[in-house]
Amino acid sequence: MRHQSILLYFAIAFFFSCEKVSPIGILVAGTNVEDRVKMSEQFYLDHYKERIWLESDGDYTFIVGSDSHMTTDPGRLDEMLSIGLSSDDLFYAHLGDIVDTKVEYYVRLDSLLQEGKRKYVAAKDLKGEYDDIVFPFFPIVGNHDITRNGWALWSNIFHSSFYEIDVIVRDGERKYYDHLIFLDTASGTLGETQIRLLKEGFLNGKYYYGQGYRYTFVFSHTNIFRPEFNEFASTFCREENFFLLSQFAEWNVTCVFCGHTHHGDERDFNGVHYLTIETMSERSHKNEGDYLVRVRIPASANQDVTYEKVRMKYVPAPASRVSP
Amino acid sequence: MKRVFVFLSIALWLHAGLQAQPYSGPRGFDSVHRNEISGFLSGGHNTVTGFFVGEAVHFIHHLNDRWSVGGGEQILFFKQLFSLDAKGIYRLPLGKSDLFFIAHALLNGYNLWNASEIILNASALWESKFVDIRLGLSYIHYWMKQSSYTEPPTLTVGFGVNLKPRTSPWNMGLFIRTYDTYYYENWNINWGLRFYVLLQETLRLFGEFNVRPAGNMSQLANRYETSAKIGVKHVW
Repeated sequence: MRHQSILLYFAIAFFFSCEKVSPIGILVAGTNVEDRVKMSEQFYLDHYKERIWLESDGDYTFIVGSDSHMTTDPGRLDEMLSIGLSSDDLFYAHLGDIVDTKVEYYVRLDSLLQEGKRKYVAAKDLKGEYDDIVFPFFPIVGNHDITRNGWALWSNIFHSSFYEIDVIVRDGERKYYDHLIFLDTASGTLGETQIRLLKEGFLNGKYYYGQGYRYTFVFSHTNIFRPEFNEFASTFCREENFFLLSQFAEWNVTCVFCGHTHHGDERDFNGVHYLTIETMSERSHKNEGDYLVRVRIPASANQDVTYEKVRMKYVPAPASRVSP
Repeated sequence: MKRVFVFLSIALWLHAGLQAQPYSGPRGFDSVHRNEISGFLSGGHNTVTGFFVGEAVHFIHHLNDRWSVGGGEQILFFKQLFSLDAKGIYRLPLGKSDLFFIAHALLNGYNLWNASEIILNASALWESKFVDIRLGLSYIHYWMKQSSYTEPPTLTVGFGVNLKPRTSPWNMGLFIRTYDTYYYENWNINWGLRFYVLLQETLRLFGEFNVRPAGNMSQLANRYETSAKIGVKHVW
């Protein structure tokens, strides 16, 4: 009887106690996606007038990296910044799990980005108020970014977990508009609020220029497609997977970039290109390798977008692997 | 909801005094009742589709004390999901426990997104007095409009524990698994509480409360879907 009572109490507590559901509390995020999206939506609305957009005269490129899981060694992330700067990429996109969620790692990350901005401003010879200059490093939040109160640290640096950016491209007298959509999928779901906002057109580009977008690129931490059989990093649940595949096709997305699994995958589905990017973590890949992807966007509408792998040469000291 | 749950628990408690009935286990064959039909109502809330409600009916025919075949259907309104399935089961007695080999074929139609899905699952279920464990693999293929995708082989893992022996006239327990009646997924774990109670010799009431979080072990931060099933099974 005693055992029955214990089980009953456990079952009642199990179902009615709280929103966060996990058998092992240490892995539970400090915030859920609803909290993050509500905070990000407010930040986004408050700063909408200051919203940034990028400009390019002619062809442009951007560079994508994922799952750097930076700890004490900032080598690979530092190399990503250097590669982008030396190749004159228009911006950087990072697909989440940027550090391994410890305060000291975020402090190091902040210093690294400040140093990156300083080099960027010097190399581009940018003038004006230093604080007003945008360092074009655009990350999304990953599952390792939100554990152990990581969101508080992450949001302190990057503020918003989902947002959009436009790229204005000039080709002689003609102008095109490309669209970048950054989603918060760190919890393995967009959550009700983000789904509602997407359905309402929140990221459909309020800075709409009358002629529509030419190319749209989406960035998500959680992957749509699973590269391998022995892949224990989960994908979206079935209904959400179909919702996203349908939404991306409706947005006429050119490419969706995903991370999370630590393994690469490339395929087309309903006219949308899907690129899952390998981890660039020093602890997962001790040797140099092609861990970044550069996207080349032609100014002319008659040419295709191309994707190329970018070699990273940084070799760290031996250390343990990290899990997705 | 809380009151319903507490009332149900008290009802189960009171029912504990009844004598054991002549057939046992959710899948066992008692050598008398060759057919089983079960129907349940289900409802819940999904992050993408919101509230949903629906029904399902299953039929199982025991060819003998080893082999069984069955099939069923499910309709979930608001989620706009229609499902069909067929299964074949072989039971291997292992002392006081059973080892079931299950072949399961599913067809799901997700009308909201014009998506369809075929799943073929082969798994082994070991069912003992208090504990059951299921291991297997799924082939999952889906298509939308002009595109289709076949997932890499997907692992099936399930674990359940019961409060009473599986021959008890009533039971309740907890489960954790990567599948449900009409889906198999990759490492997306759902878990919850299940119960049954014999109402008559040939009729049992059963149900489940199921929480389906999003993401895997390092992402278990959000409920993706919460649902309940309640139904009856009749044997003859």
